Amino acid sequence: MSRSIAYSSSPLLTSATPVWRSKLIVAGLALAFLGLAGRAAYVQVFGNEFFQRQGEVRFARTLELPANRGRVLDRNGLILATSVVAQSVWAIPEDIDLNHPKLPEMAKLLELPVAELKRRLNTDKSFVWVRRQVDEPIALKVKALDIKGVYLRKEYKRQYPEGEAAAHVVGFTNVEDVGQEGVELIFNQQLSGKAGSRRVIKDRLGRVIEDVREVVPPVDGQDLQLSIDSKIQFFAFQKLREAVEQHKAKAGSVVVIDVQTGEVLALANYPTYNPNRRENLSGEQLRNRALTDTFEPGSTMKPITVAMAMEAGRINPQTIIDTSPGRYAMGGFTITDTHNYGVLTVEGVIQKSSNVGALKIAQKMSPQEMWDTFTALGYGQKPRIEFPGAVPGRVRPWKSWRPVEQATMSYGYGLSASLFQMVHSYTAFAHDGSIIQPTMLKNSEAAVGRKVFSAETAAAVRKMLQMAAGPGGTGQKAQTVGYSVGGKSGTARKQMGKGYAANKYRSWFTGMAPIDKPRIVVGVMVDEPSNGQYYGGLVAAPVFSETVQQALRILGVQPDMNVKPQIVAETVEESI
Amino acid sequence: MTRLNLVLLVAVLASAFYLVHLQYESRRLYVALERAKTASERLAADHEQLVVQKRAQATPSRVQQLAVRQLQMRPANPAITEYVALPAVAGADGAVSGRVQSVQGPAVQAGGQQP
Repeated sequence: MSRSIAYSSSPLLTSATPVWRSKLIVAGLALAFLGLAGRAAYVQVFGNEFFQRQGEVRFARTLELPANRGRVLDRNGLILATSVVAQSVWAIPEDIDLNHPKLPEMAKLLELPVAELKRRLNTDKSFVWVRRQVDEPIALKVKALDIKGVYLRKEYKRQYPEGEAAAHVVGFTNVEDVGQEGVELIFNQQLSGKAGSRRVIKDRLGRVIEDVREVVPPVDGQDLQLSIDSKIQFFAFQKLREAVEQHKAKAGSVVVIDVQTGEVLALANYPTYNPNRRENLSGEQLRNRALTDTFEPGSTMKPITVAMAMEAGRINPQTIIDTSPGRYAMGGFTITDTHNYGVLTVEGVIQKSSNVGALKIAQKMSPQEMWDTFTALGYGQKPRIEFPGAVPGRVRPWKSWRPVEQATMSYGYGLSASLFQMVHSYTAFAHDGSIIQPTMLKNSEAAVGRKVFSAETAAAVRKMLQMAAGPGGTGQKAQTVGYSVGGKSGTARKQMGKGYAANKYRSWFTGMAPIDKPRIVVGVMVDEPSNGQYYGGLVAAPVFSETVQQALRILGVQPDMNVKPQIVAETVEESI
Repeated sequence: MTRLNLVLLVAVLASAFYLVHLQYESRRLYVALERAKTASERLAADHEQLVVQKRAQATPSRVQQLAVRQLQMRPANPAITEYVALPAVAGADGAVSGRVQSVQGPAVQAGGQQP
């Protein structure tokens, strides 16, 4: 007996399925879809903001767009300071293997002792600077070493191509590019600019793929054009340095002001520093002596005494002053001249630099008159110049002057001023009696002066200054080939404690050229020359001479004096 | 009706693909732009660096040193300077035509040192 099996149908399929089962599945699926729809609605509508934000946090980044710091330029547009890109090397210490075979190589590249490098890296911090602002080629080599945990970051470094010659004028910035000294400090805001920003989306490799919102562009700092002429600055600095070294002096300063515009063409000090390498700097090097150090100016004040007496009508250039016997006792002090000059004219007092003559002229003035003139010339007041650290010097209120003090002030003791103030006051003689406003910024407009003396007085004093720098004067070494000069030397004893040091001097020379129609006023100060010579006329005047020579040539001023030409020029007939 | 639907489907698909393509293209261009910007920044930085280096090579102190040491030059002063009037003025004087003045170096040196 055989059982037949029907393959065409299955008993399972024929069994009746309960309807509720299929309905259950449909309902389940519907529920699942509902759930999805609900979730979608939540993500897209209700919780949208949250998810957007979370997404952005994961991919969007705000990038800072650093602004370039403005450049500092000289009057001819030459760069005195500019920012260049410098890479800084940083590290995540915990990622670094301190025994990495390439660490010594990196230390050598970064000019760090290996021990120091390891000390820096052996810390709990999550971020350390290994070395900041290294040159690009070195940074690339460090990158090529490919040490895990060492990274580069782009920063800016300030470069000062002019180096030490202009260091005190330009100043410098710190590692964060913020001005610390000089023009960099006082014009920091203008130079800095404002960083911009952009919000971007980055992919998983850190590449920027999209801007999320509008870019805020960085505003670069403005360039700053100074009145300084880098050539004049360099020559003045060089001559000053030579003089300081030759006379074994402690320090020196030189200032050159253009009389037509009030622009400071050069301002240099020695000792100085290289702003590109600022390790182990001392205050001695950093000080901008021309503006921050005040001294008793000595004989350089005498022309001012004479000018004020002339202006008040008490004397004229030919008034006779008896300086014999070269000594004058007063209030327990004796004021002396180096020689007994006998009877001198006022011109002679300046030419020979007679202290007795100066004090006799001052006696024709009241303390208040003197004080007023000193003040009008800027003494005892902070110079209004765009520069940090300028000091006012000291002129005591006239009411407290004793007669002997009034007398000593006539030849520059008992009051103090910086070299800059001294030079500034002399612009009154150079600018036909009006003192002009000095500026560190380029300015092509003619300076408007403030009247202190009449034009006649100024011209008369200029003549005396010319005599003082001429034959028989104390400042003969100030003469220079081709240009007429006038100026006054000064040699002041240095104050030590309560009295004056016996063998410490400060040598000055302040003058102008060409003398008939001055273009520049130049002041030179040498502190403690100690190589035998110490008179201003011997130490400071040669610096004046050479500075004037170069400055006027660079400014294109034609010589006003006949020069015995040393050119051998012959006439050649040219064939036609 | 079916035909219209088909046409519309094709249109939708085409537009969708084009959109994707555009998005891709825009990203690609954006990345290219980014790269170009970075390159331009780097070049600008290099340029600035080179300008500074050039300037550092041409500072008065270096120029003077080289001029004195290598070329045996010395600072000019009015005694060894020939001042020439502007051509217009000189022409009026009738002084320059047909003549050339040559300045001889060695003879100048014999003239003495600068004071």
